[in-house]
Amino acid sequence: MIPAITPELILYVTAIGLIAIGLAGVVISSHLFRMVLALVIAEAGANLMLVLAGYRWDAVAPILTSLAEPPMMVDPVPQALVLTAIVIGVGIQALAVSILIRIRQRYATLDRNKAAERMDAEIAATLGASRDISQEAPLGERPLPPLPADQVNMRGDAS
Amino acid sequence: MILTPLDELLLFSGATLLVALFIGRGLAAGWMVTILYAGQLLVLLKMASLGYEGGSIASSLSFEVLGQTLSWRFDALSWFFALITIGSALLCSWFSSGAWERDYIKQGGNIWLLHTAMALNVFTMLILLASGDLLSLFIGWELVSWAGFLLMTLAGGVAAKAAIRYITYALAGGMAIFGGIALVYSVSGSLQLEAVITAVEQVSTTKLWLLVILFGGGFGVKMGLLPFHLWQAPAYAETPGPGSAFLGAISSRMGLFAILLVLVKLFGIVNIDNLKVPFTLIDARDLLAWIAVFTIIFPTYTAMKQNDARYLLAWHGIGQGGYMLLGIVVADAMGGAGGLLHVFNYAACQAALLLAVFAVIYRTGTSDLNKLGGLVVRMPLTFMVLLVGIIGLAGLPPMNGFVSKWLVYRSLLNQGMPLLFLATIIGTLGTILSVYKLIHNIFLGQLRLEHEHVSEAPWSMMTPMLILSAIIFITGLLPGIPLAWVGSTLQTVGLPIPQYTLGGVESASGSLDMIWVIGVLFAGFGIGALVFYSAGRSKRVHQLDNYAGGHFLSADVRYQYSDNFYAGLMHLIGGWYRGSFLWLERGIGSLVEFLSLTMQGLYRRANAEFYLLTTALFVIAWVVI
Amino acid sequence: MSSNLVLTIALPLLGAFLLPVLMRSSVAIALWSGPVILIYGCWIIVELWLVGFTQPVSIAIGGFAPPLGINLYVDSLALLFAFAVQLLGLIFWPFTLDQESARRQSLMLLLVAASTGLALSGDLFNLYVFYELAAVATFGLASASGKSAAYVATLRYLILSGIGSVLTLFGIALIYSQTGTLNLAHLAQLAPQQLNNGLGLTAFLTILIGIGVKAELFPVNTWVPEIYATASTRLSAFLAGLLSKLAVLIILRLLLLIFHQPEAAQVILILGILGVVSGELAAWRAKEMKRMLAFSSIGQLGMIFIAMSLPDGQGMVAVIALALHHLIIKSGLFMLAEDWGGAIERLRGSAKASPLGAALFVLFSLSLVGMPPLPGFWAKFVLITELAGQVEPLYLLGLAVFLLATVVEASYLFRVAGILYGKPAAETLSEEIPKSQGLALVTASLFGAGLVATALWIAPVGDGLQAIATQAQDVDLYITTVSPAISGGSQ
Repeated sequence: MIPAITPELILYVTAIGLIAIGLAGVVISSHLFRMVLALVIAEAGANLMLVLAGYRWDAVAPILTSLAEPPMMVDPVPQALVLTAIVIGVGIQALAVSILIRIRQRYATLDRNKAAERMDAEIAATLGASRDISQEAPLGERPLPPLPADQVNMRGDAS
Repeated sequence: MILTPLDELLLFSGATLLVALFIGRGLAAGWMVTILYAGQLLVLLKMASLGYEGGSIASSLSFEVLGQTLSWRFDALSWFFALITIGSALLCSWFSSGAWERDYIKQGGNIWLLHTAMALNVFTMLILLASGDLLSLFIGWELVSWAGFLLMTLAGGVAAKAAIRYITYALAGGMAIFGGIALVYSVSGSLQLEAVITAVEQVSTTKLWLLVILFGGGFGVKMGLLPFHLWQAPAYAETPGPGSAFLGAISSRMGLFAILLVLVKLFGIVNIDNLKVPFTLIDARDLLAWIAVFTIIFPTYTAMKQNDARYLLAWHGIGQGGYMLLGIVVADAMGGAGGLLHVFNYAACQAALLLAVFAVIYRTGTSDLNKLGGLVVRMPLTFMVLLVGIIGLAGLPPMNGFVSKWLVYRSLLNQGMPLLFLATIIGTLGTILSVYKLIHNIFLGQLRLEHEHVSEAPWSMMTPMLILSAIIFITGLLPGIPLAWVGSTLQTVGLPIPQYTLGGVESASGSLDMIWVIGVLFAGFGIGALVFYSAGRSKRVHQLDNYAGGHFLSADVRYQYSDNFYAGLMHLIGGWYRGSFLWLERGIGSLVEFLSLTMQGLYRRANAEFYLLTTALFVIAWVVI
Repeated sequence: MSSNLVLTIALPLLGAFLLPVLMRSSVAIALWSGPVILIYGCWIIVELWLVGFTQPVSIAIGGFAPPLGINLYVDSLALLFAFAVQLLGLIFWPFTLDQESARRQSLMLLLVAASTGLALSGDLFNLYVFYELAAVATFGLASASGKSAAYVATLRYLILSGIGSVLTLFGIALIYSQTGTLNLAHLAQLAPQQLNNGLGLTAFLTILIGIGVKAELFPVNTWVPEIYATASTRLSAFLAGLLSKLAVLIILRLLLLIFHQPEAAQVILILGILGVVSGELAAWRAKEMKRMLAFSSIGQLGMIFIAMSLPDGQGMVAVIALALHHLIIKSGLFMLAEDWGGAIERLRGSAKASPLGAALFVLFSLSLVGMPPLPGFWAKFVLITELAGQVEPLYLLGLAVFLLATVVEASYLFRVAGILYGKPAAETLSEEIPKSQGLALVTASLFGAGLVATALWIAPVGDGLQAIATQAQDVDLYITTVSPAISGGSQ
């Protein structure tokens, strides 16, 4: 049975679809700026979801116009919440973009894999240790194989 | 508040620790600590009624944390082990005072840390021995483990490596015990010792097995039971002199103490006997007995191949633990007595042997068995001590080791366990061969040129060694003295007690009277001496005055047979040394390394968000469906 | 009296915004205002304790009563964490006297305000807002070190955290659509009827994963090693020590008050076990101090999650004990890593140069491994006895993993200790050996002293934790405290 297509259903599907698109975008994209953009889409979906949570189709906007008993009003709380969420979201996006600019300045690339590679290399260099994993070299040093019997040092110390 | 004798003992021991900690840097520190150990021994002797009549003395120290009561008390079992602990600490510390200490400082050693670590070890061991419930048992256990770690890691370098390996093993054992205790707690809801009895009555066979494995394995790690024995030899051997002797004499026995307390006294040998290994004819007790036997054989034959005197003795010490466990697992009057008596006898022998070896190291600077030889004339007293020690350890009359091993053999025969008996005989053969290698390569044969002017060890070191030799001989002559303590200990843990006399044991299936045995032996010696001295005069020559095949052998020609000792035997059995346990240990290490690498890889992949999303989807799908 | 508590959030928040402005007029005032605010915050809480704080209180913000208005819910647990936030904010205060530090200081104040809010807030959306504020402050501070790697690490963290907040928001929306309220007390009341279904569970899981990003929950914790390796140690200490615990606290509250489904606990248990396994194993072959600490912190958080998954809040004491213990230990260890960061192999022989630092490292390690009688042992003991009492085989698996992980932990920590006390290679100059010194060492000693003090007074501490846990576990008390009016019947 196909459920009746109501505007409500469309909106819910849209919200979840936006989140899905956004999250898929974050995972798939190889460019850091696109990742941020995908995140914005996902956030829009989540916000839409929140608005929908308190929306009523048969009600008016929750504005107190007169002292008389008001008619059915839309739940105002989610709308207030969404405003907050949007503000926070914008703040974080701005921060993300400013960090992106810095990365572009320093590494001259916004490719996620390249940036991660360079970060790994830089961390390893500042910490003064060899890198464990890189894309070029095989996975670090190999674990020691068990000793063959003729090389066993019978003192029993592991040297 | 009235202090019970146990409080006094713990306070005294704590005070020793504080003295070592705060004024242990001075030159007389060694003597001071030694005197304090003597004081501890006196306080312990105040409690001697425990060792003869049994009973228990509680400590007034007791407190409650998170709803659990912690308490401490002493009974015959604790007293017996405490006697050995403090005795070996006293003699080892005596050995370290004076000449040895000065030399140690000169070589850059930290004597303050050594004294402190020793005192800490004694203190923590007493706390463990006094534990009155499972929680205090575990606390004591961990404290002993870490105190041992401190002592082992002192020398740095190889020693530190060995110590880290030890602590990994010890902590794995500790966690097994922790798991076991948690299991007991979950069944009985209590952490008192009696909770184990309740738990044993209530749980299923699977959980009983789990308990035996967790407790047996956990305590077995410290004993060096197969297959958890690899850590012990390097860790003990690399510890500085007196510390090594002390650890060798008593440290592993803490595992035996815990096994006696938890598995024998509380769990009950009967219950272990009732646990059948599925699809076979053997039960858990047989399994323990065979583990004990293999613990005798493998390390002893490994000891035979060592070229370092310290390692030889340390490997050897692991094997001796097997005899003790074997006797206790047989659990008849003679076996139990033999096993427990061997704890005492072994401690005396091992301490004497290690101290003698360290005296040799003190004079010659090496413990390499290929670089020594012919010291019998230079260090005759040390030679005597070593001789007494190896006779005791090999279980030959007239020394005390004979009594305990005889009891174990006798009980194996009485109980009809010929295969185990045969296996122990093989083990003893290995013991005799390896200790012979020790005395031959150090004291017999050709004196090295560089050792020509070596002199006897100083008296500060000699005296405790001689005292130990005296103990070995006297308790060999009059085994009734320690058997009295052993008797009440056996009673405490619920094992049968043999009929003992001052000179040995009386039983329907075979009696032993050491006074007679030694009398006959010395009569034989007397006749031999008579023949020797009446047969004519012998001529004394200088030790380096040697001839072979009519040729004069100058001192720089090496003709001592020390390298590749027992070549013929090794030709026969050499192929059996496969290092399988080492291989196993390495294998586990490699596995962890590999897993670790995988996990690091997991955290270092570029696409972290992917995990997040997959998990989220997976989890939600799982829940919704 | 207790309404003063609002100031512990409001004052740092105000300070955070005013600081850059103040900086222009008077550097001295600006530099001292931060610490003064934090000291005052500490004092407010201490004063509350001094006059005898026993019963939880609810503070309605702006005079609107819950569930309409937003409220702060203050019980002993919340107060304890609020105090920890203020105190640690003070301890990890970025003391430097330059223009640049004004930004850092105001971000730090923001972080403190948001963290205190996380500890105290009694409203789900309000928690979300504070959570995001804390995140913003964290991003700012993490990238403030100015290293290029720090920017990349921060961005990766930001994106992960962004997805987390999308998921959280989604969960909140679901909850709201089911119940029409976001007040925790009100939700606690409605939950048995309205959230005890698949949708409620989905909401919880999305929130769990969203907030789990900060709580270092497996597998959303991939940022941990990167951020801790690039950010300043003080920030790492604050994040690993405190912020992760606050996220844990939120999840704990949600689990206790609202989501009683066994599946919720099961998911936490499984993720916790995986966290322990992955964290401890990864730490085993870590070659740099900071990364080792980061991985070990993941493992420790995993242990806390295992404790949290025990049904009906049985693991409450264990959670609080483990969390507080880890807070002290990791802060201390990170302070030591300030001078000893970088390759572990480089530290060979450092014990000679700085014996106090090495001794502290050993002390912290011992407690982390659970050596009695240090506090770590008791925390683990509580958890283990609770775990062993469970019948579900999964809990026993958790127990086994926990015990094995401890062995691995001891192995790598004492390998480091062995290196510290080892002899340096012959060609190493003594100046090359890093020394632990200065303020970092003093701070670490402070944590060490706290640890020892706890070990000495373990019995009263244990009783106190038990009381706190009992209070936090009491759902009815929560509901009646927040809204006496609605406690009688349904709204």
